[in-house]
Amino acid sequence: MQDSRFEFVTVDARVAEEIEAPSYSYWQSVSKQFFKKKSTVILLLLMVVIILVALIQPELSGYDPMNSPNINRPEMRFRGISLQYPYGTDGVGNSVWDVVWAGTRTSLLVGFIVACINTSIGVVVGAVWGFSKAIDKVMIEVFNIISSVPYILIVTVLLYTFGRGFWQLILAMCLTGWLSTAYFIRTQVMIIRDREYNLASSCLGTPMLRLVSRNILPYLLSVIMTNVSLEIPAAISTEVTLSFLGIGLNVAVPSLGRMINQYANYFNGYPHLFWAPVLTLALVTISLYVIGQTLADASDPRTHR
Amino acid sequence: MGTEKKEVLVSIRDLEIKFDEYVAVSNVNFDIYKGETFSLVGESGSGKTTIGRALMRIHETSKGDIFFKGKKINQKVGARLHKELIKKMQMIFQDPAASLNERATIDYIVSEGLRNFRLYKNETERQQKVREALLSVGLLPEHLTRYPHEFSGGQRQRIGIARAMVMEPEFIVADEPISALDVSIRAQVLNLLKKLQQEKELTYLFIAHDLSVVRFISDRIAVIHKGKIVELAEAEELFLNPLHPYTKSLLSAIPIPDPRLEKNKKLVVYTGEEHDYSEDLPKWKEIKAGHFVWANDAEEKRYRMQMKIG
Repeated sequence: MQDSRFEFVTVDARVAEEIEAPSYSYWQSVSKQFFKKKSTVILLLLMVVIILVALIQPELSGYDPMNSPNINRPEMRFRGISLQYPYGTDGVGNSVWDVVWAGTRTSLLVGFIVACINTSIGVVVGAVWGFSKAIDKVMIEVFNIISSVPYILIVTVLLYTFGRGFWQLILAMCLTGWLSTAYFIRTQVMIIRDREYNLASSCLGTPMLRLVSRNILPYLLSVIMTNVSLEIPAAISTEVTLSFLGIGLNVAVPSLGRMINQYANYFNGYPHLFWAPVLTLALVTISLYVIGQTLADASDPRTHR
Repeated sequence: MGTEKKEVLVSIRDLEIKFDEYVAVSNVNFDIYKGETFSLVGESGSGKTTIGRALMRIHETSKGDIFFKGKKINQKVGARLHKELIKKMQMIFQDPAASLNERATIDYIVSEGLRNFRLYKNETERQQKVREALLSVGLLPEHLTRYPHEFSGGQRQRIGIARAMVMEPEFIVADEPISALDVSIRAQVLNLLKKLQQEKELTYLFIAHDLSVVRFISDRIAVIHKGKIVELAEAEELFLNPLHPYTKSLLSAIPIPDPRLEKNKKLVVYTGEEHDYSEDLPKWKEIKAGHFVWANDAEEKRYRMQMKIG
């Protein structure tokens, strides 16, 4: 063909294989995706502030539920909201501000410790459970039996056995709490267990433990994140519910649940006493939930780009 | 037989594979000779992938034997034989989108087998092996830090090939390696497989559902239908003298790239009612040297007649 408007090009096979896009980094993409959402960043900052105050403020105030220094000073009871007492004082003359932060600290600790233990055990057991058909036969029966009894009932009975207290509560919540996470992970593992890339790995002689840690768990990162983001607020709610019912923590440990229980009596006369712990609880739970959800979304590579 | 002089690499005898009560594959008998491309052709669900996976010891077998270099491999094998089999037998998968671990770098994916058995003296040697494998399939060493989703379908399939090649295998099960690829790059991957076969003296079991592709790459072809191999012959022999009605039906289904011819083409429909197996039961029979067919005595007589005329 003789046409000056066209010219021959040579194809370079090497150039055709090159990838133009910059190299991809998983964690960089996760953080980019996470910080893109402004509302979550605000809630994250709020959460950091809440955690710091909850850890530091009770140390400064020296609040102790077993010791009410103002109990014999009637003028200190039911003080209104002021600069000195931001949430006023309660029926025994304690600053509600101090009580709320002490309770929040307990709730956060319970939430994080329980979620941490339950997720760790749940993920490890669930991964093996989903992989081995022999283990599945036994575990599914164990799960069926235990999950048919309400969780709150099991925790209550365990608490009556162990006695009330902070570590007893955590033990009671963790003893069977990991089962639902394990079951969830087991189902997820089963979904991706028989995909071709896992067959490829077994054709290469990859042992099961590495198959789980390199082929399965990285895929489950975002569902594990989702699970944690639900687990922390759920553990906090359980603690508050149990303490509200008077069976969770003992009187020596400050608790939002017991506060809500006590202050509910003054709901008509001094509603701010009731709303202070309830709104703090709501703020903590919602923030944790939203942060967890955004992190879960960000850790799903399908959202990257 | 006429093929006795060739060395048998893989041998399958009376193989049966069951999934619970369902018999997926039965009465499978064939040998694969060293250096050849043996193709297994059949429709979806015919059991061709199941046989390939049984060879790779992914599926358990319920009856029969599979031998690799004379050693029985469809049973529990010791650690030494296991390692040897993994090195010598590798698989290329159908779907390049599903057969690579999306959360691992190409470096990890390609060196996974090397790592599992520490098939290198030091880190430098491992890197060297991985680089060579990548180059041999036309990829670049700078791809090592990339993730699978950054590659095209053809590139991904070549990563899968590199992953198998790095083990320096002798035998490769290629499970429909091109059926998930774009038509424009099918030839590229087929040519690559052919090139590697010549360079490294590989033996292929090529699984496909498309006879037209198989014709040009295979030395011998087995046609499988509903878990039974119905015909086995050298590639040209099968195309020239198809005996079994199912093979004829498959051949008639190959599209002809000429609309006028294609329009007037007569399709042969296979229903299975062509056979009368009520009394006279079928067996695996050699009609001509190297040309086997699943037939009963009456059919065998007819096929022999046909051969003489044809």
